[in-house]
Amino acid sequence: MTKRDEKIRKREQAWKDGTVKKALSRFPVLKESPSRFFTPLDLKDDFDFLKKVGFPGEYPFTAGTYAFDPSAGLAKLAAKAPAGSGRTRAAGYSGYGTPEDTRDYYKQMIEHGSRGGPNLAMDLPTQCGYDSDNPTVEGEVGKVGVAIDTLRDFEIIYEPYQGDLNLDRIASNFTINAPAIYIIAMYVALAENRGTPINKLRATPQNDILKEYIARGTYIFPARPAMRLFRDTLVFINKHMPNVNITSIGGYHIREAGATREQDLAYSMAIAMAYLQEGIDAGLGIDDFAPRFTFNAFGGSMEFLKEIAFQRAARRMYARILKERFGAKDPRSMIIRMPLAAHIGPSSTTIQRPLNNLTRAVMGAIAGALSGGRPAPFPPYDEPLGLGWSAEATQLSTDAGRILTCEAKLGEVEDPFAGSYCMEALTDEIEEAAGQELDKIEEMGGAVAAIEQGYMQKMVSRNAYEHQKKVASGETLIVGVNCFTGENELEVETSRLVPHPYDPEKRAKAEERQIASLNEVKRTRNNKEVKRLLKTLEQKARQEDENLVPVCIECAKAYVTIQEVCDVFRDVFGEYDAPSIL
Amino acid sequence: MERKIRVLVTKIGLDGHDRGAKVIAYGLRDAGFEVIFLGVRQTPDQVVNTAIQEDVDVVGLSILSGAHMPLAKRVLEKLKEKGGEDIIVLIGGLIPEEDKQPLKEMGVVEVFTSGTDIIRVAEVINQHVKAEK
Repeated sequence: MTKRDEKIRKREQAWKDGTVKKALSRFPVLKESPSRFFTPLDLKDDFDFLKKVGFPGEYPFTAGTYAFDPSAGLAKLAAKAPAGSGRTRAAGYSGYGTPEDTRDYYKQMIEHGSRGGPNLAMDLPTQCGYDSDNPTVEGEVGKVGVAIDTLRDFEIIYEPYQGDLNLDRIASNFTINAPAIYIIAMYVALAENRGTPINKLRATPQNDILKEYIARGTYIFPARPAMRLFRDTLVFINKHMPNVNITSIGGYHIREAGATREQDLAYSMAIAMAYLQEGIDAGLGIDDFAPRFTFNAFGGSMEFLKEIAFQRAARRMYARILKERFGAKDPRSMIIRMPLAAHIGPSSTTIQRPLNNLTRAVMGAIAGALSGGRPAPFPPYDEPLGLGWSAEATQLSTDAGRILTCEAKLGEVEDPFAGSYCMEALTDEIEEAAGQELDKIEEMGGAVAAIEQGYMQKMVSRNAYEHQKKVASGETLIVGVNCFTGENELEVETSRLVPHPYDPEKRAKAEERQIASLNEVKRTRNNKEVKRLLKTLEQKARQEDENLVPVCIECAKAYVTIQEVCDVFRDVFGEYDAPSIL
Repeated sequence: MERKIRVLVTKIGLDGHDRGAKVIAYGLRDAGFEVIFLGVRQTPDQVVNTAIQEDVDVVGLSILSGAHMPLAKRVLEKLKEKGGEDIIVLIGGLIPEEDKQPLKEMGVVEVFTSGTDIIRVAEVINQHVKAEK
C-alpha cells in the first residue's frame, strides 16, 4: 500500500467511526449506512487508465464501441426536418397475421416516409418449424408475428420493396433461430429470383440458437446438430454475403428469463465463444468472420449504476476474449455491435399502474446514454398489458428519447463515468464475477456441453425463483406491486385513442386465409421436384461435412415448406428434450 | 397420511417463455403441493392425458402468446370428454383484462397475471380443491 493509500485508509476509518456514526445516531431506525462511498482504494491493481478504459472506439472498448454515438448529432438534424416522422416504424420489430397483412402494413409505413427494411417478427409455428396447416398449431398462426410457410410468403411481404427500396438498398432483420438456415435460404432465393446479386444483400438473422435452450424456448433440434446448421450459415454468409451479419447474440433473453447480471454476461460470452469456435473449426480466420457477429442486447434491470457498469464490463470482456483467446487483430472483430446499451428489460415493467413504466424506461434510457448507447426508452409503457404497443405509448417513448438527447443533452460526453472510483470498481466486480462463471462453463466443456447438462437452464430458473421469493418477502421492492399499494394511491388510467394499424377482423381471419394460400402453393408447385429435393436434403443432412445452405436455397425456390425442411432435420437430427427442472 | 394436492404445471402452445411456469412450479412445490412440471410446448391432448393419468386435482396453464382463448377452450373440452371435469383449470400469463371474464365463463377457475403472489395461487387451489371434495 502506498503512502497516499495508507492516508486515505486511515481517514476512511475515521470517517466511519466519526461522521457516519454521528449521522446514524440521528436516525435510530437505520442500523447501518444505507449507501456506499467509493475511494481510490476500491480501484484494483494500480488503476491503469489505458489498460482498463482506453479511448472510445479503441481497445478494450470500455469507454464505448465507437468514437462517438451519432444519435445526438443526428437527433439535432432530425429535429429540423419536416414534421411527420412519428408513425414510420417499419424498422421496428413488426409482423402481423398473413404475409398480405404485413405487406400492407409496410406499404403504409413506406407511404408515411419509412425507408428502412422490415424487421420481421414471425409467428411461433414458423419459429418452431411448423406449417400453418398443421392441426397442432391451430390458434397460433399469425399471432406474435407473421406466418411464413414458403418462399411465396416472402415474395408477398417484399412486394413494396422494389426500385429504390429493392433488397440491395434496404437491410432486413429476421427474428429466427432454430430454422434460421431456411429463412436465410428464402431471402437468398428471393434475391436471386429478382436478379439481385446476393453479395449486395444486407440483413441480420437472429441465428442465436443456443440461448433458445436457456430462454425463449423456440428450439427444435438438440444443441449439437443445431450448431452444425449454425456453422453452415456462418460459412455460407462469410463466403457469399459480406454485408449480412451472421448472428445477433442475445444475452437480453437470458436475463429476462431470470439470470443474474453475471450469469447473463458469462453465458452470452460462452455462447459467443461457441459460435466463434465453429468458424475457426471450419477453417476460417477469426478476423474474416468475427466482424460479422452482432449482439441483440444484454439484459437490463432497474439497477442504474450496475447496469452502466455491466455494459462497460461486457465490452471489455468481449474485446479481451477476441484478442487474447482467439488472436483477433482487427479491432472490428473485438467490438460488441448492438442497437441498445443499458436498459431496464421488459421484465422490469409492471401491469400495475402501467404509466410508471415510462418512468422506469426513461431511467433505463439515461443509463443507456451514460453507458455508450443512445437514450432509447424501452419498452413502451404498455408492454405488460399484452395488447401490443399503442401508438400513444410509442410516441411517448420516442419523445422521451428526444428530450434526453435534445434538452438534457445526454450525448455530450462519452462514458462520463470513466475514472469514477465507483464505476470502475463496479465494472471490475461484474467482469470478475462473470469471468468466474465463464470458467465454470468452460470446465464443463463450453456452452453446448453446459446446455446439454441442463446447467444454464437450471441456474437461470432457480434465480428467477429466488427473485420471486424476494419480491414476495418484500426484500426486493417494486412500486405498485409489493409496496405503495394502499388505498390512498391513485390508479392512473391510461387509454388508447389511435386505432391499431391491424384491423381486428382481418386478424380474426388470418389463420384461415394463410392455410388457404398455403394449400394453393402446395397444389400448384412441382411436387415431384419437392420430393426429389427433400430426398437430397436428407442425404446431405446425414453428411456432417456438407453445407446445407445451397440445397436449402433450391428447396426455397421450389416452394418447399418450412415444416417439410424441418421434418427432414427432425428425422436426421432428432428433437431436443428439455431436462427436468424439479 | 393425507394425500397432497396434485398440480400439473405446464405451458401450452408453442410459446417458450417459461420463466413464470417454472417459478410457479417451484413455488407450489415449496408450498406443499405435489407438482408435475410438463415444460413447454404441450398440446391440449398431452396435457389432458397426463392430467388424468397422474390423477391431478389442478391443471395450471401458462400462456403468454395471445392464443389463450382457443387453447383454454380445447383443454376444457378435452377434460370434459375424458371425464376430468372435476379437475380445476387455472391460467397464468399475459392475459388482457377484457379476456379474464370470458375465460371464467368458459370454465377457468381463476386467471393470474403478472405480479401475483404465489401464496395467492396456493390459496385459490386450497379453496377450490377442498370445495370439490
